Amino acid sequence: MQLYGCVSNLPHTVKRSVVLAAAPEEVWEAVTDEELLSEWLAPEVELEPHEGGGLHCRFEDGEERHGEVELVEEAERLSFRWWRDGAGPSRVELLVDAVAGGTRLTVIESRLDPGAPALAAATWSAPLARLRLLPGKLVLA
Amino acid sequence: MASPGAATLPAPTEARVDAVFAALADPTRRHLVATLAAQPGATATGLAAGLPISRQAVAKHLQLLSRAGLVSSRRSGREARFELQPAPLADAAAWIGAVGGEWDQRLGGLRRLLES
Repeated sequence: MQLYGCVSNLPHTVKRSVVLAAAPEEVWEAVTDEELLSEWLAPEVELEPHEGGGLHCRFEDGEERHGEVELVEEAERLSFRWWRDGAGPSRVELLVDAVAGGTRLTVIESRLDPGAPALAAATWSAPLARLRLLPGKLVLA
Repeated sequence: MASPGAATLPAPTEARVDAVFAALADPTRRHLVATLAAQPGATATGLAAGLPISRQAVAKHLQLLSRAGLVSSRRSGREARFELQPAPLADAAAWIGAVGGEWDQRLGGLRRLLES
């Protein structure tokens, strides 16, 4: 029954938040620079950190994911869709905030409806704004 | 670094997970799932009573939930009674758990990178 309880909240979004002992600029670089990304996201990462830019990751087990950058707000927010063969796409949003003692990085990954058309950046910023209104809760956009 | 790819679900499960997330993308259908969890065996008429939409609209949503494997129905007199089927929800929960585990690992790696 516990399983059903979560459904009315958020069935398809995962959120993680960490506070890092680093400056916001360092964290932003770590999430947008290919070389730094390949130190922690996947062993091989190609990323064009601008809207419409491509993303390609190869993980240690050989799994590959392709993606596309949807939104870049310099030093604050990076969002992309990514997918692997045979699986529906998901959207990843990375938010960088300065906090006491360092920088908070928040990751929100949401499974997207594979049947739905790709949303233009202009139309999906509104639901994402709603997501951010409810920190700590799993919220459906 | 542990491999994020380890969380990959088998392909048929992926397809089922997609169907479940598509079915649950709608707030009315999420409401129906939550209501059926509390009232197993409810009818479309009974479910419509708590919603500002018609019985026909509810029946359509139930059909979609049923196609995703989330709901089963059985005849009882003149009306069908609906019940939740937990397996697809467990698949969706597995996706959430797998993706969360992937990010925990990656963010641990990022912390080591930035704080060492």
